[in-house]
Amino acid sequence: METIYQAQINFSRFLSASGQAEQPLPSWTEQPDTLVSYYRNMVLARQLDNKIIALQRTGQMGTYASLLGAEAIEVVLGERMQPNDVLVPYYRNHALQMLRGLSMEDLLSYWGGDERGNAAAAMGEDFPNAVPIATQALHATGVATAMKIRGEKRAVVTVCGDGATSKGDFMEALNVAGAWQLPVVFMVNNNQWAISVPRSLQCGAPTLAQKAIGAGIRGEQVDGNDVIALHESVSNALQHAREGKGATLIEAISYRLSDHTTADDATRYRNNEELKAAWEREPIKRLQTFLHQKGWWDEVQESAWQNEVAQLIQQGIERYLQQENPPVEHLIDFLYAELPAALQEQRARLIRNAQPGGSHHE
Amino acid sequence: MKYFKLPDLGEGLPEAEIVEWMISEGDLVKTDQILVTVETAKAIIEIPSPQDGVVVHLFGQAGETIHTGEPLLEFAGEEDDSGTVVGELKRASDNGSADHFFIGAAPSTQAYRQTMTPAVRSLAQRLDVATDHVHGSGQDGQLTVNDIERLAKTDQTHGKAEPLRGVRKQMARNMALAHAQVVPVTLCEDVDIHSWATTEDITIRLIHAVAAGCKAEPTLNSWFDGQQLARRMLDQINLGVAVDTAQGLFVPVLRDIGNRKLEDIRQGLNRLREDVINRTIPPAELQGASITLSNFGTIAGRYASPIVVPPSVAILGAGVIREQVVPVANQVVIHRMMPLSLTFDHRAATGGEAARFLRAVIDDLAKESIS
Repeated sequence: METIYQAQINFSRFLSASGQAEQPLPSWTEQPDTLVSYYRNMVLARQLDNKIIALQRTGQMGTYASLLGAEAIEVVLGERMQPNDVLVPYYRNHALQMLRGLSMEDLLSYWGGDERGNAAAAMGEDFPNAVPIATQALHATGVATAMKIRGEKRAVVTVCGDGATSKGDFMEALNVAGAWQLPVVFMVNNNQWAISVPRSLQCGAPTLAQKAIGAGIRGEQVDGNDVIALHESVSNALQHAREGKGATLIEAISYRLSDHTTADDATRYRNNEELKAAWEREPIKRLQTFLHQKGWWDEVQESAWQNEVAQLIQQGIERYLQQENPPVEHLIDFLYAELPAALQEQRARLIRNAQPGGSHHE
Repeated sequence: MKYFKLPDLGEGLPEAEIVEWMISEGDLVKTDQILVTVETAKAIIEIPSPQDGVVVHLFGQAGETIHTGEPLLEFAGEEDDSGTVVGELKRASDNGSADHFFIGAAPSTQAYRQTMTPAVRSLAQRLDVATDHVHGSGQDGQLTVNDIERLAKTDQTHGKAEPLRGVRKQMARNMALAHAQVVPVTLCEDVDIHSWATTEDITIRLIHAVAAGCKAEPTLNSWFDGQQLARRMLDQINLGVAVDTAQGLFVPVLRDIGNRKLEDIRQGLNRLREDVINRTIPPAELQGASITLSNFGTIAGRYASPIVVPPSVAILGAGVIREQVVPVANQVVIHRMMPLSLTFDHRAATGGEAARFLRAVIDDLAKESIS
């Protein structure tokens, strides 16, 4: 018997949980700009996330999926993607979408139940949120196929959770990405929980990244709380994609510090000790410590930025709350490019019935 | 905002239970400060304040349930946003004004399960009209403005409907349940009680006769479980005796009527009646009837179709005793007759069993005396 294939999965981390360099850092970290920008955006992401949950608790927002604990993944993807790349997001990519150009009020509108927020002009060719699990992975391969056929040097990024990797859609997407050498980056935010299913019950393989091996694409694990490791991994994967060298699966190890959504209560199924331990590894404090050590960030800057962020958020919320309610036909208008006849009829009836005393007129 | 109303905290949750208030009446609160912890069907959730302000009233204590859309607390010095009706009713429609987004009326929830447009719902609230379980005249049973105005007029003309409480509410529930489950058949017959002394204790005679019926046909002294399709034949005859009161129908239980002396039964009956009238009867005394007697003849009525309340399977009703022309040995005579109505649950007993029970009851009642 001979070994005909061998594979390994590498894990990368540069900053330890306490913000110390564990190995020689890449040269771009010698300048503060990129890291400070990551930090500022992560702070904004977290403060906005908190505020959106408060809006939901007071009846001013619909059900919302928190990004708490995924800030590093969000900001690195958001800052490393080129404007002409395409994002095919899932329902936890709020900060990433904003870094791609989505306004705060449009983001809030979508989660407040207004489809216009999911169709903002600023999204360009980026896709709307995928709330179904893993379907976006196949959409991403479709977009990537178009780019390949046109011979464009662009990349597609799609994000999903650890739970999504168990779905057929995800496996099919990996397979076709490998078979056709598609310019896709599959980012798995492995936050250890698929609603109430822990990672240990999700999959028998020790890593999710190794699913790439069966599809013939690159696969690697990275510390999802470490912006430096993420930066390296994401930059490489995007470059590979744009150069026509094929797809990459990045498994970013993070932790969902929040409930699954505002309609969930994780204390019912999750050990509090585990949560406390995860807070010791979270991405913002880790980078803040590093920046302090470098002398690139201090308490005065911190306090000024926190205040500025609070104002930005307050202004965004005010714009969101002042928006006119969407007309009733928006229930239907965003579903098809061309509306089927049956829905045209329903649409007309919706509009009629929405008039004062509308149902009288039938 | 004057009233902060409980928003939908999940996806269509109708209510939440207050776990703990973090603030008290009179407190000055800041935006996003935690006000209260509530428990929904899905989660324990901390609710922050939507605004800065002084809280003047908390609606509900720990352990109480608040429905989605109902006020949680009241802020001081704010304008009442509920509105009152003066002159022509504004038919609220979406005119796009910013204040249409009012906190607390999350766009889903229980209210949306009733089919009416927001304009109609707002009208119903202003007119304080109860719309639960009302079928509207609009498309698919939607409530329309006309429906609400008609309901408001009904309230105005006849007064508001008064919700049932206590025993009367329980009666309504039990009867509806019985009606939904039982397959009732009622047999009627008259008993000639001409031979009775004028001092005869009618109720005691009826109780004795029921015991005689149960002994002759034990099937009717049983409990029937319609879900499992199972029955329990009961050794002891525990007779539920219907007692009419101003508060409603009570059915205290007279235990073991098959084995007790008549004087003992009479004393027991008197005690139960007193306890019912004084409202001192313990709940245990109202439970466990194996068969029921309703002596409505003390008031009025000849025959009836009494209702069997599960799990028991039979009820005997006795109407007003009257003098009647009857043929006896080819002679026309006037005798005192007692009309009987026996309802039984045909799921649990056959017609033959019920008829034999009634036969035994009649034979026992027809005796001149039983002591």
